Amino acid sequence: MTAMTYNVNGRKYQFDADSGMPLLWVIRDIIGLTGTKYGCGVEICKACTVWIDGSPEKSCEKRASEGVGVKITTIEGLSATPVGLRLQQAFVDVQAPQCGYCQSGMLMAATSLVARSPKPTDAQIDSALGNICACGTYPRVKQAIRKATGQ
Amino acid sequence: MTRVNQKSSSSTGVSRRAFLGGTAAVVAMFALDAAPGSKMAQALAASLPSDATGGAVNGWIQINADNTVTIAFGGAEMGQGILTGLAQAAAEELMVAWSQVRTQAAPASQSYITGGSYGIRANFNAMRIAGAQAREVLVASAAATWGIAAGSCSVTDGIVTNTVTKASLSFAQLAKDAATRTPSASPTLTGTSQFRVIGRSMARLDIPSKVDGSAVFGIDVRVPGMVYAAVRNCPTIGGTLAKTPAKPAGAIAVVPLGTAVAVVASNTWAAFRAAEALSVSWTTPSTASQLNSATIAAQAQTLMATGTPGSPAAERIGDAAGSFASASSKVEATYSLPYLPHVCMEVLNCTASVTATSCEVWVPTQAASWVQATAMAITGLPASAVTVHPTLLGGGLGRKIEQDYVSQAITVSKAVGKPVKLTWRREEDLSHDQYRPMGLVRVRLGADASGALTSLAVRTVAPSPLFQRGWMAPTGNDNVEGAEGLPYAIPNRLVEYVRHTAAVPVGFWRSVGNSINCFAVESAIDELATSLRVDPLEFRRRMLASDPRTLAVLQRAASDIGWSSTPPAGVARGLAISNGFGSIVALAVEVSQPTTGVMRVNRVACAVDCGFVVNPGQVESQLQGGIIQGISSAFWGQTTFSNGVASSRNFSNTRMLLMKETPSITVSQLQSGLDMIGGIGEVGVPPVAPALANAWSRLTGTRMRSLPFFPSANHMDD
Ligand code: FES
Ligand code: FES
Repeated sequence: MTAMTYNVNGRKYQFDADSGMPLLWVIRDIIGLTGTKYGCGVEICKACTVWIDGSPEKSCEKRASEGVGVKITTIEGLSATPVGLRLQQAFVDVQAPQCGYCQSGMLMAATSLVARSPKPTDAQIDSALGNICACGTYPRVKQAIRKATGQ
Repeated sequence: MTRVNQKSSSSTGVSRRAFLGGTAAVVAMFALDAAPGSKMAQALAASLPSDATGGAVNGWIQINADNTVTIAFGGAEMGQGILTGLAQAAAEELMVAWSQVRTQAAPASQSYITGGSYGIRANFNAMRIAGAQAREVLVASAAATWGIAAGSCSVTDGIVTNTVTKASLSFAQLAKDAATRTPSASPTLTGTSQFRVIGRSMARLDIPSKVDGSAVFGIDVRVPGMVYAAVRNCPTIGGTLAKTPAKPAGAIAVVPLGTAVAVVASNTWAAFRAAEALSVSWTTPSTASQLNSATIAAQAQTLMATGTPGSPAAERIGDAAGSFASASSKVEATYSLPYLPHVCMEVLNCTASVTATSCEVWVPTQAASWVQATAMAITGLPASAVTVHPTLLGGGLGRKIEQDYVSQAITVSKAVGKPVKLTWRREEDLSHDQYRPMGLVRVRLGADASGALTSLAVRTVAPSPLFQRGWMAPTGNDNVEGAEGLPYAIPNRLVEYVRHTAAVPVGFWRSVGNSINCFAVESAIDELATSLRVDPLEFRRRMLASDPRTLAVLQRAASDIGWSSTPPAGVARGLAISNGFGSIVALAVEVSQPTTGVMRVNRVACAVDCGFVVNPGQVESQLQGGIIQGISSAFWGQTTFSNGVASSRNFSNTRMLLMKETPSITVSQLQSGLDMIGGIGEVGVPPVAPALANAWSRLTGTRMRSLPFFPSANHMDD
């Protein structure tokens, strides 16, 4: 067990954790922010996407020690960014979520895409959103991104 | 003819006082049902313990102090929009604004089973009646206050207005008095032409919580003092724990579960790691060596040739065999389908807290009443001591009707005396599913000299979820949906079912038998059209002259894809239709072959007639989702078995369609009257595989009769 300090969504968290624990489980079980989801644990589904210093990362592939000294943003903190809020609103406007389980990861990926490319092409959207959605929300997620970027 | 359940709240006799809380008042109660009249409903009803059925009330309408309205009922929300669709029915009749509507889960004892695409069609009318009853008692209170006739009152947005004096009272002001009044058994319903809420794409009530991380799925439940459990299920079907393994360092407990073993730790990851570290010895049955996919397939071939079909046959009209023998053109083809995992994005999980006198369960479930029964059986507690909190489901697809994961969590909590959240790793979830049955389907079609289809004989060999659960006699039929009752004019028909007894656990998978038979029948129809050199649209059209609903749906899909035009070079089109769950769906698809042996789906035009459309936006998203799941399954979906061990591990070998592979999908909705409401959760899936196979055959000349199409391309990586 190692004492750690995290900055998540602008808030400080201090706790003891096994340094090998995946960041995903630190966020969910120790910090208690459950919007970030477990889908596979093997770095494929992207349900666990968070931002580390602003760039989207799969939290199941990061270790607890890698969360120290960086700024972590989860779905719970997304609305603090204007682009994030715009994307969330667009997801609601087009009624994108079905079961909703993959949507946190989708939103984290979509927001960082739009932050980088304010008018992403379809090809850019396709390549930035490699998230698995078993419900098949892809058409509406794409529609939401277009809407949020005035396309 | 109406198919909806019409029980009304006034027949319940349960005191509304029992539900009163704070300043809120319950003004109407109602009863909802699963699939009335279906085989599944009969089985479900028969299997409910008598003390867990909770009498006849399973929902109510409560007026809150802030003049919002809470509609409580027991149904599972897994993205299919049930909460919203049923709330629309009640809100319409209550005459409240959509922004005033809240929903809440009813207790387990008052829940119904969510499955069979019945959520809306079974319960829509009951919800309208309840809403109208609530409005009528509220209006009666206002009228009594003012000493006027109810007819002199009007209602808008939850406010009752005296049309003479223009005085007004809110529902909240009236609720206490209204709750003491007896509602009419046959309240006045809003006319169809007056609908403001029903039939519109009202915003789903669960969506805001799904974009900010606040939605609570089962896996997100946190209970004070909770510990975390992971399981190792016996890898071999039918195997059991030989002895309880030693507790790994750092774990809190190891709990034997018969066919599995659980490890308890202080967080999910520690539990996962401890489960992996366990050194477990299993006792595997000698029969496990028989559970190989090749063996199961060979047994199916034998059963096809010599098995005894269910008796009487699922459908027998005229003389299909005689007509086939004398037909001038024939097709006989056999189609094979694999076991399929459900692949809900939220893995199986359940949180339970068992004490000597109580049991609480938080769980993503399609069957909260069964969870209650499971808890009673394990703990020995009475129904009154068991509380079930159904959560949102991160996908259900038929998997979360089962009780395996629920009983594990309850057993572990009982053993350790603490609240426990039990989570299956993805690897456990995929390798211990209750799979869509494999199937072998033989179709014989015969046409006369004029090219008209005169005989259809379908023989489906498949394991039976109903029989495995003891819900069906050995001579019964299962998995014949999609083969029986076809809309085509075919004078001679025989639909038979031969039960395969392979011990792989099978269950209810989105669209059940339809997903099996629609592939076979709609492929065979195209094969016959091809051999007759008749356009597949024209061939189907001729057989649908007396079914204008199905014909209209088919023609719409065909025109949406531009069937009459020549497709671009390197592109071919295919069609399929499916009738099920009270709805009709036609798909027209366009496929191409970017590299040899690789199929790309370019476009899908879907047309649907689900009777009356309650929420068009929701119909569209359910069909898009069903079509996308249908493509994943048709391309790659399967679980194979080797000596009783499932092949599926993780997404690494369970490939799912991604956004970049998703075609454009249009959904055209044709409406029939309000007295017909069809289900939409499942109907999108069945026609996908045959439409793709039909298009591929036109593109390449190769007919694909075996699912999945591309089994060796089933891997994904990061
Ligand atoms: S849980 Fe991290 S990629 Fe699937
Ligand atoms: S919305 Fe259900 S998995 Fe994407």
